Amino acid sequence: MTPDFGGQRAEISRRTLLKTGAGSLLLTVLAIPDIAIPATHELQELAGQAKRRIDGLAKVTGQKVYARDFNARDMAGWPSQQKFAMFMRATTTEHAFRELDLSDLRKDELPERIVYGDQMHKTQRAPLIMGRRDLLLDSRDDFDQPKGMLYDLVVKRGHAPDFLGQAVALLIFASKPAYDSARKKMQFRDSDFQVYDSAPAPQPDAVTYSPTTRFVRYDADGQAFSYAQNPDDYDELEPVFADAIDLYLDENPQLIRHDYTSDMRTMDPMFMEPESGIAWYERDNRNLHLVLGTQSPDGDVLGISQMYGSTDSPLPLSNITLTPCYPGGGFGGRDSSPFSLMLALAAAYGDGAPVRLSYDRFEQFRVGLKRHACALSGMLAVDADQKIRVNKMQLEFDGGGRKNLSPYVAQLAALCSSGAYDVPMADVAAKAVHSINIPGGSQRGFGGPQAYFAIETALDDIAAQMGWDPIALRLNNIVDQGDRTVSGGAINQSLRLKEMLQHAQTNPVWADRAAIKADYAARGLTYGTGLAMSMQAYGTSGDGVVAAVSMDRDGVIRVASDAVDMGNGSATTLSVVVGPYLGRNADSIEMGGYTLFTQTGLSDEKGGSWSDPGWTAKGVGSSSACLTALHQVHVVQQAARALFLLAILPQAAEIWGLDSLEEDQTKWVDGQLTYLPGGKPPLPQADLAEANFTRGGTSSVLAHGFYQGSWTSADFPINGTLTRLELDGLAVTSALGFGPTPVRRRNTVAPAGNPRDGRYVWAPAVNLIGLTVDKTSGRVQIENAVTVLNAGKVHVPELVSGQAQGGLAMAIGYTLSEDLPPGMDGPASGNWNLNRYHVPHFADVPLNQSYSAGRRSQQLVLLPADGETTGRGIAESVMVSVAPAISNALRDALGVRFQSLPITPAKIKAEINP
Amino acid sequence: MSFTLTINGTTHQLEDDQSTVKLLDYLHDTRNLTGTKLCCGIGVCRACTVSVQKGPNRFAEPVIACSTPLATLKGARITTIEGVAVDGNLSAIQTAFLDNFAFQCGYCTPGFVMAAEVFLSWLAVADVAADDLDALIENAIGDHICRCTGYVRYAQALHKVALEMLEAKP
Repeated sequence: MTPDFGGQRAEISRRTLLKTGAGSLLLTVLAIPDIAIPATHELQELAGQAKRRIDGLAKVTGQKVYARDFNARDMAGWPSQQKFAMFMRATTTEHAFRELDLSDLRKDELPERIVYGDQMHKTQRAPLIMGRRDLLLDSRDDFDQPKGMLYDLVVKRGHAPDFLGQAVALLIFASKPAYDSARKKMQFRDSDFQVYDSAPAPQPDAVTYSPTTRFVRYDADGQAFSYAQNPDDYDELEPVFADAIDLYLDENPQLIRHDYTSDMRTMDPMFMEPESGIAWYERDNRNLHLVLGTQSPDGDVLGISQMYGSTDSPLPLSNITLTPCYPGGGFGGRDSSPFSLMLALAAAYGDGAPVRLSYDRFEQFRVGLKRHACALSGMLAVDADQKIRVNKMQLEFDGGGRKNLSPYVAQLAALCSSGAYDVPMADVAAKAVHSINIPGGSQRGFGGPQAYFAIETALDDIAAQMGWDPIALRLNNIVDQGDRTVSGGAINQSLRLKEMLQHAQTNPVWADRAAIKADYAARGLTYGTGLAMSMQAYGTSGDGVVAAVSMDRDGVIRVASDAVDMGNGSATTLSVVVGPYLGRNADSIEMGGYTLFTQTGLSDEKGGSWSDPGWTAKGVGSSSACLTALHQVHVVQQAARALFLLAILPQAAEIWGLDSLEEDQTKWVDGQLTYLPGGKPPLPQADLAEANFTRGGTSSVLAHGFYQGSWTSADFPINGTLTRLELDGLAVTSALGFGPTPVRRRNTVAPAGNPRDGRYVWAPAVNLIGLTVDKTSGRVQIENAVTVLNAGKVHVPELVSGQAQGGLAMAIGYTLSEDLPPGMDGPASGNWNLNRYHVPHFADVPLNQSYSAGRRSQQLVLLPADGETTGRGIAESVMVSVAPAISNALRDALGVRFQSLPITPAKIKAEINP
Repeated sequence: MSFTLTINGTTHQLEDDQSTVKLLDYLHDTRNLTGTKLCCGIGVCRACTVSVQKGPNRFAEPVIACSTPLATLKGARITTIEGVAVDGNLSAIQTAFLDNFAFQCGYCTPGFVMAAEVFLSWLAVADVAADDLDALIENAIGDHICRCTGYVRYAQALHKVALEMLEAKP
């Protein structure tokens, strides 16, 4: 008789050790308390398919899932009494901050504590931030090392603020009534409470954030020079080939040249939940508890560990206990947001009590990360055969007051500068500069919206100038598999741009555009049609991903992932993609699993080698919605496959009495494993799980993958034989609870990509816009929108279309109405809200899903996967070419090129009624 | 002096010094009902919408909790998102929003649910033609802001439930 090894649940540890300057600290990640996530088998009709969002029930019934929902009283083991933090924000950079004057507050409104920057420990005021972004310059700039923040979180008295909205003081209130009353009295009256020197302060020199980017590509006359192709002599030869491009232009005066300029205002991500969190420093065991809704738990925790991890830390830390919540929207605005640092900073002054920091919408506008304002100019040269020969572009991004990710956003903009076209000669420079404005972040598109606007409007202008068909011009220049990007990076992925343009070309919104225009004109309306395309990259130049899949004794499947679901549906997708492997979708999923990587047994220290089975190039990175479809899904599926091989297959062989059983001899049918050769009874998944526990089999698999143009792959000993998996790390936990135990990999094959390529995978999109413009008011209405999207394999169609629809709406706002001025005329003043920042409403978006003449419509055309087995990250791809499509449609309608975003009614009126 | 209001079927006694407290703050701070969301705080986005029925009024109305002082709600019967599902049974619109993947981050969802509930309770007894539904739905939820979805799936889900309601009428 086989002994019963006991156990019921397959546990995945939520703890890990972090290194700090003072040694190490224990990080524990907790699940959201009392979240009501239903058993997935009630929601999913078929394994591999989603019937509803896995987080849907909790959200549609108003349960506590967002950080803002929680107070100390909701957290088990916390003191119920909490304090309230408020940061006062700088209103000028021209005068030194002296102090606060709170004499206008009543005694019962006063904070119990005021803390100025100069009273804080240096690591609190200016913590070192780990630059964990893996981007293009990884190979030549060692920016993964800690970099000092360029500017303090909180201004020191006697110093001029570095940027508007920088904190000048921290106020701690003992009670909610005091906080509410003081806030009400002080809001919109900063100058009454902040004291600055009257004399002007010396102004700093201009700062350009490092690194800057310049791509020179020369592919002509039998010579091929680029950043990716010339790793050894690129810096030396860059100016030589830049001169060669200029010489080519001089020698070819017949080329059609088009000079272009564009500028874009800052945009607020305007995620619906203003940032909020609670923190409690438990002095007795040196434990900092945090409840946060964040897009980048890894970076947030590292930043906090830098803040308090030094040997002379004012807040000695042995533990961080993080409860990551579902973010109420993100769009990149919660990626590397300083909010988590500000909350941790406030926690130090709670005197043992939990501290809550909650921005309202005014403060969120005032300090929340923005999409960068940008000014760009360039020249596009095309020959008479409609072939692009040269593109020169210079982009300057307003990085605002803190570096954040700004230079890397500029870098990706440079990579997008050639659009979806093969441009043989290019000279592109991009940089981000410091300013007094609100810092920019990694908002949706990451430099793409600015660059695609430039190239797509320039192409349209050339087509109009020459009387060329804009689609034919594009078809003549599209990039394809085997071509190279502006960095010289090889494109090894099928793009299908021609097919996509042909879809757009035959769509009635384009094919019948003249008739539609005439029809509107007959009704006294001015109509125009515009088209633009893009191929937005997803992922970075090297992505590490980790996930765990486990199976309980009763067959319940659990998935844990380092991804964060900002609403894009990652949790739902990752819960269903295990179904085909395990006969059942995941019953629960834990996102933001920052503790997973350290349990793999892998190290990602710099200088390692793939020949070391304990090394990988990168553990995990910040969570991005676009990483789900390919990267996260892949590792979850590989883990599920390994769990099938380790936990299911041996039990089936045993029960069926087979000496050997291969995975391709089996198939899941309605939750039962069937033996394809026949003659054996189907085995219910729950029975196999029970057998697995009874025999002490594997209950959980932890997997890590690294993607850089392809996945690192290796052989792993599974069931006594070497099995090839597209993973670089595997660890297993037994039903007895032992583990996770690393499984030593062999015969590792490194990924194929060249890090200098920058990006390897792309999600192309074509946007077609038909609009009317009211010449009197300048108001634009989107009448028809068509998006043709190559999303690869679609795992959950409803999520993909929802993302596309949301991307379109957000892009309409970016293009037409979302207008944030710089300086104190803008949100830095603290008095901006949705009454003056106009995001799209219901009426601004066509809602009908099929086209019929005279009726507003929005169509999404998804290319059939045609054998493509992996999904593409589409979160950003739809939106990046909407703005140029709208500008192109306005040009068609009015004969005027609008190059300044947003294209507000005032700008339109000024152009057509000067 | 004191006054009462009823939230999700439970009547609460309040003192006059609470008259100026905003309904949203009362729900969050006093009742720990955080399903009603703060987004803009100035009544533009409507994420904080709750259903309020006053006195003898036949129908409930959508009310912006972030900007409504308790003094204006004396004696009112308030339903928040936490009070929509009965004994764990979702309402028709909650089910439709789930089945249609209507929301993403979900932060605006309680406001959409409550506005839709108010609309549907009116529609149940209104004399309305199916052709008028699109305009009525825009009137009901058109001022609500959603940043994730582009509104398409919200509109589809509400249209489906509303149409089924009309078709079920004798």
